[in-house]
Amino acid sequence: MATPEDVARLRQLKETEPLQVAWDDWTSTRKVLEDMTPLLNDPDPAMKALASEEASELDQKLSNILKETLPSLLVPPSTTANLSALVELKSGVGGTESSLFLATLLRMYMRFSQSNSWQATVVADNENEGGGIKDAIVEIKGVGAYDALRWESGVHRVQRVPATESGGRVHTSTVAVIVLPLIEEKDAQKEELYSMDDIKLEVMRARGAGGQHVNKTESAVRLTHIPTGITVSMQDERSQHQNRRRAFQVLSARLMDQKITREIAQRRATKNNLIKSADRSEKIRTYNYAQERVTDHRIGFSVMNLTSVLEGDALQEFTDRLRQDFEETAMEDMLNSES
Amino acid sequence: MHAFMRTLTSGLPGNELKWLKQGAKESNRSLESLVKRRLAHEPIQYILGTEPFGDLDLLCRAPVLIPRPETHWWTAALAEYLPKTNKRFAEHFAGPTSRTLSLLDLGTGSGCIPILLCHLWPKGSIVATGIDISQHAVSLANENATLCGISRSTFKAALADFLDPAFPNAETINPPYDILTSNPPYITADEYLHLDDDVANFEDPTALIGGSDGLQYYRDIANLISRDGFLSSDAVIALEVGHSQADVVSDMIHSKGFNTDIWRDPWGKKRTVIGHRR
Repeated sequence: MATPEDVARLRQLKETEPLQVAWDDWTSTRKVLEDMTPLLNDPDPAMKALASEEASELDQKLSNILKETLPSLLVPPSTTANLSALVELKSGVGGTESSLFLATLLRMYMRFSQSNSWQATVVADNENEGGGIKDAIVEIKGVGAYDALRWESGVHRVQRVPATESGGRVHTSTVAVIVLPLIEEKDAQKEELYSMDDIKLEVMRARGAGGQHVNKTESAVRLTHIPTGITVSMQDERSQHQNRRRAFQVLSARLMDQKITREIAQRRATKNNLIKSADRSEKIRTYNYAQERVTDHRIGFSVMNLTSVLEGDALQEFTDRLRQDFEETAMEDMLNSES
Repeated sequence: MHAFMRTLTSGLPGNELKWLKQGAKESNRSLESLVKRRLAHEPIQYILGTEPFGDLDLLCRAPVLIPRPETHWWTAALAEYLPKTNKRFAEHFAGPTSRTLSLLDLGTGSGCIPILLCHLWPKGSIVATGIDISQHAVSLANENATLCGISRSTFKAALADFLDPAFPNAETINPPYDILTSNPPYITADEYLHLDDDVANFEDPTALIGGSDGLQYYRDIANLISRDGFLSSDAVIALEVGHSQADVVSDMIHSKGFNTDIWRDPWGKKRTVIGHRR
């Protein structure tokens, strides 16, 4: 008779199976290497060369298992692996120049999404009168979108001579990016992120007498989540129904983001570790046009092909390295907590 | 954008410009022509040809009255409220019963009220009729029903005049009705003279002016609902009213043997009078 404990044990066994496979692979490979070591001193030069070639292959395999396979199995699986992303962009310092660069970044993320086969839709945007876009929200739907893009959150800085600058001086402007986890409506209910009792829904602007007296389109809505004070306004669509749906989507994403941040903080607090800052006002990346250079300040990594980054292609190098950095940090956290 | 267009569009709210741009692109029309129409106060709903109503997209064509957000609000509220209103209705909406409920909408215009109700309630739970004295409105309402996937056996719009004393015997209708809805013209003659050009110059005055005091159609409706055999014994009525008319209309309906209730819209105005037969 199987008891609940048996089932739990069975599940644990099943989950650690890949680890067992990797460990067996490691020990058997090592055994082969040990067994053939005497052949490295074989008097026959042909045999000796053959052995040395094989030994170096085995050595390579062992170091692969050690450096890649085992660590990737030890990092806890991402709980956000399936989530789509909501990317918010806001102009920072630099006025119109900042809005122009925001439009460039927006295009970069749209193209990056396309090459990853994610569906990207601009759900809200405000044009800047002098050119460019003041702020925008993009919905990026697809498995893994959030995990790939989450490290894009932070301040992006551009250094270039603006088209409008006659003196040829280099200006520095910024755009703030916030990447939020996007969950489906039905999952939002499952996560119990909010209760409808905690939400104040307002239709904005007075309508005078209203009714037949007025035929202005009135579709703007504002949601307030009372416990957190988060407010979301949506007015981009002609349909109030759509604006309301979008507003709830953004609210869910913000609350989910807070939940994830809270969980990470709790985990770290229990381990009594130093928390690596996830400050969103931190300057994370510089795009320098004169040098064709993009540098990520968190990992000290540069790509000397700004055009390719802005086309969305070389952005992959940043997202891959940032994810790797995150996994390594997670490993270190784990090791430190063991001691 | 040309400097000329920029000057032209500076008089428009940002969102309207964006919607006109989308509309121009989708219909292959020049943005300039659409913007000019809007600046001449033509309602954006007529220019773009549609107006969202809940999760429906309804066709809009001058001069048929453009569906208002207030009307959507109370219609959606009625859709939730009615199944809970009395025992027969509750049983009816809980599962198939021998008789479908019947609904009549007076002055249906675009058909927005009955079409949304047919859309929100389970298929086959009601049969609705909308009547209007404008052939434009009748055609548009029928087109809207088709567009929203509502069959002719569920909703039909027909030409009829509910002020006609012979109306209850008209061929186009089939009393008694379980539910009566209406957004009749309720603007007073005086107020009409002060309306924005967007409303006064483009929408049908017959759909707006409710006589010198704005209450003429409510008097007619009050007479209609008190006629024998026009409504069923447990009928519910829902009437949209102007911002200052709810109490007067409520009294009128009350005096005809109905318990009444007044609903306030999200902008704080007393907007709907609900009546239950006593």
